[in-house]
Amino acid sequence: MEKTELTINGAKHVVQVDDDTPLLWILRDTLGLTGTKFGCGVGVCGACTVLADGQAVRSCQIPCSAAAGRNFTTIEGLSPNGSHPCQRAWLEEEVAQCGFCQPGMIMTACALLRENPNPTDGLIDKVMSDSVCRCGTYPRMRRAIWRAAEQMRSPKQ
Amino acid sequence: MMTSRRKFLKTAALSGASLVIGFNGVRLLQGAKTSAPFQPNAWIRIDADGIVTLTIGKSEMGQGVRTSLAMLLAEELEADWTHIKLVQASPWPGSDLGTGGSDSIRSSWKPLRQAGAAAREMLTTAAAARWKVDRSSCTASHGAIIHSPSGRSLNYGELVGDAAKLPVPQDSPLKDKKNFKIIGQRTSRIDGHDIVTGKARYGIDVKIPGMLHASLERPPWDGAKVKRVQEDAARSVGGVRSVIKLSRGIAVVADTSWSAIKGRTALAAEWDDPPKDAFDSETHARRLETASRETGFITRSEKAPAGTGDITKTIEATYHYPFYAHAPVETMNCVADVREDHCTLWVPTQAPERLQNRVGELLGIPADKVEVNITLIGGGFGRRLGFDYAVEAAEISRAAKAPVQLLWSRADDMKHGHFQAASVHYLSAGFDAQGRPVAWKHTKAGSFHNISPLDPKEAHDVAWYQDWSWGAYDVPYAFPEIQTAYVTVNLPVKHGPWRAVFAPSSVFAREAFFDEVAQARGADPLAFRLEMLKGADVIKVGSTVDRRRLRRVLEVVRDKSGWGASIAKGHGRGVACNAYFGHTYIAYVVDVAVAPGNNVRVERVVAAVDCGLVVNPIGVEQQMEGGIIWGISSALKGEITFRGGAAQQSSYADFEVARMHDTPAIEVHIVPSDGPEPFGMGEPPVPPIVPAIVNAVVAATGKRVRSLPIRPEHFRG
Repeated sequence: MEKTELTINGAKHVVQVDDDTPLLWILRDTLGLTGTKFGCGVGVCGACTVLADGQAVRSCQIPCSAAAGRNFTTIEGLSPNGSHPCQRAWLEEEVAQCGFCQPGMIMTACALLRENPNPTDGLIDKVMSDSVCRCGTYPRMRRAIWRAAEQMRSPKQ
Repeated sequence: MMTSRRKFLKTAALSGASLVIGFNGVRLLQGAKTSAPFQPNAWIRIDADGIVTLTIGKSEMGQGVRTSLAMLLAEELEADWTHIKLVQASPWPGSDLGTGGSDSIRSSWKPLRQAGAAAREMLTTAAAARWKVDRSSCTASHGAIIHSPSGRSLNYGELVGDAAKLPVPQDSPLKDKKNFKIIGQRTSRIDGHDIVTGKARYGIDVKIPGMLHASLERPPWDGAKVKRVQEDAARSVGGVRSVIKLSRGIAVVADTSWSAIKGRTALAAEWDDPPKDAFDSETHARRLETASRETGFITRSEKAPAGTGDITKTIEATYHYPFYAHAPVETMNCVADVREDHCTLWVPTQAPERLQNRVGELLGIPADKVEVNITLIGGGFGRRLGFDYAVEAAEISRAAKAPVQLLWSRADDMKHGHFQAASVHYLSAGFDAQGRPVAWKHTKAGSFHNISPLDPKEAHDVAWYQDWSWGAYDVPYAFPEIQTAYVTVNLPVKHGPWRAVFAPSSVFAREAFFDEVAQARGADPLAFRLEMLKGADVIKVGSTVDRRRLRRVLEVVRDKSGWGASIAKGHGRGVACNAYFGHTYIAYVVDVAVAPGNNVRVERVVAAVDCGLVVNPIGVEQQMEGGIIWGISSALKGEITFRGGAAQQSSYADFEVARMHDTPAIEVHIVPSDGPEPFGMGEPPVPPIVPAIVNAVVAATGKRVRSLPIRPEHFRG
């Protein structure tokens, strides 16, 4: 096991784990950042989505060896106090039910809006359909993304 | 740390400066004076700082129960909403904390408000005594008692010491609903901020000192023996501590989750080939179909009154309902710390007491030596009324002699759950010479739950069988002659509660076949439903069905959906309705589009719900939307099939569930109710959505759909 330096939420962490350890388990078991969830371990459900240099990635599919040198953001580091427009919009649209998939959904939405400040419904559907919410919060998520997009385009002071 | 009763009482007795009231739905009692026979199911505590803590056993799994229960308490207590804190209760001997059956709001409605009212009265009495004024001149509001004539006020926190010395009134007046300030208001989730910031802690997030991680390789079919297993290979994986053979498989225990997963893969376990007669879902479907022709146990029988026309024409149909998994995104998991004479569990569960008893039995210790800490649940849907995963965790911790977190993989979760059981429904309808429907017959061939043993002392009478066939025996329509029956078919694979339990299959068959009857009658399906809901307004058939409420929700979806307008080719509109236990009434109008490839897309759902008095409109809307999406999964996405005794699906790729692109436009209309009490919302939205989709697909294609999930080949050609 070699030491690897990872950048998570702007902070450097040196971890000593097997090279093939997925980032997901480094976040959860080694660093105690449990906001990122395990849902399937095979990249199908999206619960473990984090940002890598602003892009949405599945942390269960990124081995430690491929994680060095990239800047990762997890739900815990998205904003101080839940103030990111996506988090605010999620609360304002009353999206969450059980809430388990929501960190992954919010991270996916953040990456979508970063690249497409004005996404079409078709694009929202396409991007968000890579993730699973068994409670069925999709209608509210869709509205939250519209709302967050609007806030990001014309932020209120 | 969660609060057990013993510790709690001690704390209450020591602190002195808190007002503590325990309640069990029958009696209220002050904490410090609790005597043995009184076994409360929940507690409220008001501290000197004015914080109100509600300790309650209901599990939060997305239904918003923590928010809605806090609303009930705050209403009668006249509490400051921002000063209410919820603490999860743990079971104790005699407690009854389980969560299921859409029952939490209904069963908490009265006791929780009574407890709040009692505390309010005690605080009022204490304030009046302090000021030496008539207590009728004092009012409670926003966490304070106010004496308007003198303009004085005291916060609850300043009064708890005095109030705690007063006897607990048992019959404090409850507010009239027209004076509600909180109940009925759109109220945000109490835990919403924790969820969007990643702070919400589910079972999977529990970490305790010295905790190891386990992954369990289970036999693929019941009774399978292992042929080959590479134990040494597993042990040589870095971080693996031990490989343990258990009654239910081979556990790999390791320092981290990843080491446990890798170690389990390294086991490369090979199992016996299943016997030729191992469980197979196709064979089972044929067995069910054969059984559906038997008379079975008659769950309802009404003979046509004299003067009813003779049956001159009969139509019949057989409806097939498949197996489904719960597939919550948080897989089954449990942290168990087994010591010599006690055990502590941290577990996302809906059934804490049954779990406690079972683990106690396993370890040979009294149930009260098993401390159960209920965590947040990442999707319940009835799956966590089973507790197999907690028993496994306890067994592994005992063998490993260490605290262990057992985490199921997604494939474990798909293959080893307790499934929604398949069933087959045989229905027929008789018409008289004028074409009027005069007889309805519905026989359900299905299986009882087998995740926990049935109580042999329970009388297997009509009520018992009706319990297994909601949606079939309580057909709300006024056919002069009605016969419903249940045929029990043995089902060896694990099956148990799933969202809406026994209703989805029966309501699917009933509402889809009702459209066949309407078609045979040449009637509009929605108008025909209203016509067949005439006669007695209220019928008592085990549960009580109020046809007026069902008619009202149908009328609302008719008017809001533009029912009757012409529909473009390739599109269809369907309707279905249901009275859930006679409590919550729901109707849907669904629009579908059938693409050239015969793929079905639900485009719009117009819904009407009457769930009695509404506690939190946001919660009602969320459950309606979630139930509709759940139904879209059942109607159009994955099913579980068995070959060789094993479930064949292993992930969301082969047991598909609805995703964002499957989501229709949804309109939810909450029908104002004059009902005096609220009813549950977790399960009721599920049963009628699937037949409404089926009926829309039939309308679009002209082809009958009698099995689920709907597949393009059902209406090809």
